[in-house]
Amino acid sequence: MTRDITGMAAIANIGASPQEIFAALCAGQESRKPLKAFDPDKYRAAYAYEIDDRPEGGGDIPRRATHWLTTVVRQAVADAGLGEDLSHVPVLVGTTMREQRSLELWWRDHADVALEDLHFGTALKETFGASTTYTFANACSATLNALGMATDMIDLGTADTVVVAGTDAATESGFGTLDRVQNDTPDALRPFDATHKGMLMGEGAAAVVVQRAGTGNGPLHARVRGVSMNCDAHHATAPDPDGITRAVQDAYRRAGVRAQDIDLVMLHGSGTPRNDQTESSVLRHIFHGAGPGPRMTAIKAMTGHTLGGSGLLSLLMAVLAMKEGTVPPVLGLTDPIPEAAGLDLVQGSPAAGDLSIAQVDAFGFGGINAVAIVEAAL
Amino acid sequence: MSTTSTAHTRNPNAREVVVTGIGLALPGVATYGDLLGPLPGVGGFDLATGLSGREMRHKDRASRLALRAAESALHDAGLTDAHATFTGAADSTAVVVSTNLGNADSVCEAIDTITRAGVRGLSPLGLPQTSSNVIAGWVAIRYRLRGPNLTVCNGVTSGLDALAWARSLIVARRAEAAVVVGVEPANDVVTKMLGEQSTDAAVAVVLEPADAAASRGARPRATITGYARARNLAAALASAGVTEEKSVGLWLVDEAGAGPGHLLVATRRIDLEAQLGPLSGALGVLQCAAAAAHLESDATGNVLATAGGPRHDAASALLLTP
Repeated sequence: MTRDITGMAAIANIGASPQEIFAALCAGQESRKPLKAFDPDKYRAAYAYEIDDRPEGGGDIPRRATHWLTTVVRQAVADAGLGEDLSHVPVLVGTTMREQRSLELWWRDHADVALEDLHFGTALKETFGASTTYTFANACSATLNALGMATDMIDLGTADTVVVAGTDAATESGFGTLDRVQNDTPDALRPFDATHKGMLMGEGAAAVVVQRAGTGNGPLHARVRGVSMNCDAHHATAPDPDGITRAVQDAYRRAGVRAQDIDLVMLHGSGTPRNDQTESSVLRHIFHGAGPGPRMTAIKAMTGHTLGGSGLLSLLMAVLAMKEGTVPPVLGLTDPIPEAAGLDLVQGSPAAGDLSIAQVDAFGFGGINAVAIVEAAL
Repeated sequence: MSTTSTAHTRNPNAREVVVTGIGLALPGVATYGDLLGPLPGVGGFDLATGLSGREMRHKDRASRLALRAAESALHDAGLTDAHATFTGAADSTAVVVSTNLGNADSVCEAIDTITRAGVRGLSPLGLPQTSSNVIAGWVAIRYRLRGPNLTVCNGVTSGLDALAWARSLIVARRAEAAVVVGVEPANDVVTKMLGEQSTDAAVAVVLEPADAAASRGARPRATITGYARARNLAAALASAGVTEEKSVGLWLVDEAGAGPGHLLVATRRIDLEAQLGPLSGALGVLQCAAAAAHLESDATGNVLATAGGPRHDAASALLLTP
């Protein structure tokens, strides 16, 4: 079964729409910026991939993640030709941090934040009249988990139209603890390159409208063929090759595709040595003997790790890559790690290609994996 | 899932999902039967001994509470052996956690440390609990549960929503069983956010398809029959399939927050938070445990559990039947 993607929207450090972000990825200009959100004296990491929308003169404000969320949901439903009344449309939100940045500002700086602000249903009710809303804190595979559950709702007949969205603002507790554990502090996120040192956070939000095949009025951007979701049950923060392999294979099974059908892989590519080695090794195994193998790219090199929304942002970039027949390069990738030998990682400049089916990887803390298979709209 | 957008249709081929195990880590409440009242108020989970031990090391308080509740529920469901090893189908068992403030203490402690001493003052062992899904991760790791792993942080309705999503994962055949945990820890951050004294509460239930439970001889305690999250209680009840004709013998309800009180006037009502204090993300799962107690007792009628209302972004309703 397929479901149509009829609305798309996104915001990140490098653009305020999927098209702007895609163009920036293709242009491939360095996008990291000196850390601005937090007091740089407290951190070893000096760079991040923030959305620079805080008030002039410094300081932070609560509910930025919520603001991005309502913005991308509004844009995605408009793109799909739907009105802003979502009282009859379920909205599934995937996030790593929820509004924990607001919690921090409330606790330390006495910002005006209430319990109801921590989940996104409150703002979705106020803005769109939506009630069938869910906030899933599913780490960095959250939005693809939410997409999987949206396909279930459509398949089970409980909804014809579902909005899937994700948002995350960087938190000091998350950025700081990550900084603390990365022994070799990265000054950029360089997935799959021998110089990779680790992850740096980005900020962003993404949304799609998913509809039962043929029921929408908007443009058909792409089709969702299948989404897997599982858990390594192995380690609290490190990835596990067995769990990721099962997630990829289950996605293929649900989508009715084989490895040789995949034209493009949007890698999780978080830039940590553990992720990059594990993901590369699994994909080498998956695509061994499957012909020339798909093109591969990793957008976090330019967006930073946008956490919960990162999987959906990768998916949107896959949709545009299939539409344009162009795969953006991995910024800064010149010397791939040995584990990635034989993988067709796009380097230097965009690669042209006739792309029909894309695989999107998203792996998160807690060992939760989700893999989506999307098909070009023809 | 039922939504307000579509009529609630009962698919005859849909799998029936039942509760087969219940576990509490709740001070003052020894067994779920006590939830029907009067509460003993003493005994129950011992925080001093229950939250310590080798396997609890380096874990946040909410995760430790959740692990104890899950342990008890899996044992109750007959899914662990004498060594507390999971004996079910680990590859297809889901974990669904409901919590709103589970890691709030870890987040606020970290920011205090950074403000005082910079990141060098942090413990690297604190990394997992900066992410809101830490609890579900630890439960999965403890029992090697490799199915879908969800953390529902959805306000006052979270617990009921988590049960409905666990059922949905089973109906969609993404999972053959699910451990659903509702948990909130007591600490200064939570107390300040709630504006009242916080309570330690964790409760876990095991869900399975009715046919699978029957074939392994497990005793079903309750069937999850209907659910909706909607703009208000009346809409949620209608979408969940709760009608006048349906016999509701017990309504688990937030008396003050439910709004217009004309609904189901004849039904016995229990407000768990009025007796136990604020339960937040633990509420809905604890309501499910109380529902099972009612359905196992001599009392008649189905059980309706509701949360949310006019003061919140929505209301959820869950209908449980024998």
